[in-house]
Amino acid sequence: MLDLKLEDIDGILVRYNVALEKEMTPDEAAEELYPKDELIYPIAKSIYEGEEDDVVDGLKAAIAAGKKPIDLINDALMVGMGVVSKLYDDGIIFLPNVMMSADAMLNGIEFCKSQTTEVPEPKGTVVCHVAEGDVHDIGKNIVAALLRAAGYDVTDLGRDVPVDEVIEAVVKEKPIMLTGTALMTTTMYAFKEINDKLLEKGLKLPFACGGGAVNQDFVAQYDLGVYGEEASDAVKIADAILASGNDIEKLRAEFHKH
Amino acid sequence: MVKKYTSMAYAKADDMLFGNAKFPVKAGLGLEIGAGFTTPEINYAPRPQAGKSKDKLIKEYERITTDVMARMVQIGAPSIVLETEHVEQMSNNPEWGGAVAHAQKTIMEEYHDEYGIKCALRHTIGDIREDRDYLQLRGDKYSVFLEAFEECAKSGADMLSVESMGGKEVFDYSILRNDTAGILFGIGVLGSMDMEMIWTDIAKIAKKTGTVAAGDTDCAQANTAMFIAGGLLDKNLAHTTAIVARAISAGRTLCGFESGATGPGKDCGYENTIIKSISGVPIAQEGKSSTCAHSDLMGNVTMQCCDLWSNESVEYHGEFGGTTVQCWSESLAYDCAMMNTSLKLGKGKDLRDILALSDKYRDPQGYVVSYENAYKVGQAIAKDGNNNYLRAKNAAIESCNIVEEGINSGKLRLTRFETNALAKVKADLVALTDDADKFMSESLTKYKQEVAVFRPENYGL
Repeated sequence: MLDLKLEDIDGILVRYNVALEKEMTPDEAAEELYPKDELIYPIAKSIYEGEEDDVVDGLKAAIAAGKKPIDLINDALMVGMGVVSKLYDDGIIFLPNVMMSADAMLNGIEFCKSQTTEVPEPKGTVVCHVAEGDVHDIGKNIVAALLRAAGYDVTDLGRDVPVDEVIEAVVKEKPIMLTGTALMTTTMYAFKEINDKLLEKGLKLPFACGGGAVNQDFVAQYDLGVYGEEASDAVKIADAILASGNDIEKLRAEFHKH
Repeated sequence: MVKKYTSMAYAKADDMLFGNAKFPVKAGLGLEIGAGFTTPEINYAPRPQAGKSKDKLIKEYERITTDVMARMVQIGAPSIVLETEHVEQMSNNPEWGGAVAHAQKTIMEEYHDEYGIKCALRHTIGDIREDRDYLQLRGDKYSVFLEAFEECAKSGADMLSVESMGGKEVFDYSILRNDTAGILFGIGVLGSMDMEMIWTDIAKIAKKTGTVAAGDTDCAQANTAMFIAGGLLDKNLAHTTAIVARAISAGRTLCGFESGATGPGKDCGYENTIIKSISGVPIAQEGKSSTCAHSDLMGNVTMQCCDLWSNESVEYHGEFGGTTVQCWSESLAYDCAMMNTSLKLGKGKDLRDILALSDKYRDPQGYVVSYENAYKVGQAIAKDGNNNYLRAKNAAIESCNIVEEGINSGKLRLTRFETNALAKVKADLVALTDDADKFMSESLTKYKQEVAVFRPENYGL
């Protein structure tokens, strides 16, 4: 086989990721972000490391030392997940780390709930679904995990969800946002039907859509549509709704990048 | 009858070349694939509203087919393959798929009769074997699935393909958690088992209908890894992990050819150069020509050994230069003309090497699928060809070794993150047992517990 000389390669391609890699390791970056409280620190660190058992051990120790289980959700678990989310947003850690941390955090939340009769204050509910006729759900699973990791209650309707079932869920759950994902051009047409039925019922909420075949032009065709290019945009859209309201045009101005 | 590959089709990597397969395949109207020339393969998706009714869908595919055939004649292309990837309505209602195939083939026959253009129609059935909550690989859904193949084959499709989903429930869980054993179990074990079942049956349908059992792709798994990995700056999955998933997928995709498929393999199987090295079947590939569907880091290298050159998929709509299928089929046809010219001039191997080298050091994925390295992965598979688990594990470890060689040469430059991910996945692999039964037993226990949607009965377990 012919081959290139080492010095010739840079003229053909540039590995920008190598050139831009940060000096600090992910562990070092995380260490700088952990809370200093000696009871909270091990919980946050275990969340970052995705170690479910260690998270529960940390929670047990904190409760034994007098911390209230319900407070630990926001003061320890969400703080630990906040470290993970920041490192992900900054491009220091990758998605699998976030998923494993989210698993550990959710496990921790369940443990805290089991230790108290108090109910945690919800940040907001998001209903997630994959379009009717479409069974490709890994994108939706990532969206749901990232939303949960950010503290939202997620009602996950699953995949291949009939239009009417989506409407019923919105009526019942009163979410701040609905998400829809689809891989195929013919299934994403269901989004428009959902949009029309929501409007018929007078339900006006942001409907964040994305996925393989979905594009901004298509989503912009229906009144409630807000296009999310990346799974992580779902969290950013939800955060924007909490911060500044659910005006669709404002959200489009922020998230429609093309 | 499943006959496993335990040796290589080619004596050496350098014998592999685009437009040439050891075992060419005749299909459709005067076409022979892998017989000394390359052919464009155009793939398309109907517009969203076209799925509303059977009549609308047929009409859409008639427009697509006429547009493509007319453009191929207008630019003087000697041959063309059309690939119709089913939307779910066409596979869940086999008569819909059959009606579309019939409508398309009727148009293709008219062009073939009038102009002599060689052409063939591939129908890729949707893997509809699931319900809302679970894969349903066997049972009623499987019957409809096979019926969809037969209906299309009887109605005009020349080549039968699918992007099957076996093992995806475990894979999807594992890839998002850096679980190397789960990736290997999902693709290499469960995926392989399902492939052997379905392709034995699809090959029977092809034989009965006089059509070609073309082949499968690990789109559902290895391409999912590739897409999650994304571009150089994306932070969703290490590209070194993605290429290990790809190497594992070669053992799984090979099962189709061991169970009666003859090629051409499916375009989005980036594992296909490995497959060709072992089996000698013709392959379809996509790369720079599929930017209409997705971005990847292997735009040219994938062309190195292709027999059909594809665009993956494009939604049907208008562009400045015509409809999308006209623009993209024309682009593919000119690429094929370039490859075919190099073959006629005796410069094919030079062009092959240029194509491979232009991407080889861009990313670990391109490095491993570069044909001389793909051949090494093929050898690792054939070495234990009779054992689906072991050969998948071999392929995974070999891909790690290949990337390490690239790093050591100084030419393949990886981030510290990618290097660490490579070390982790290799350590995971080396620690795994060589005993397939033990791996199966341990994996069943683990993933029944961890993956809520995993149902062993889907695999006859």
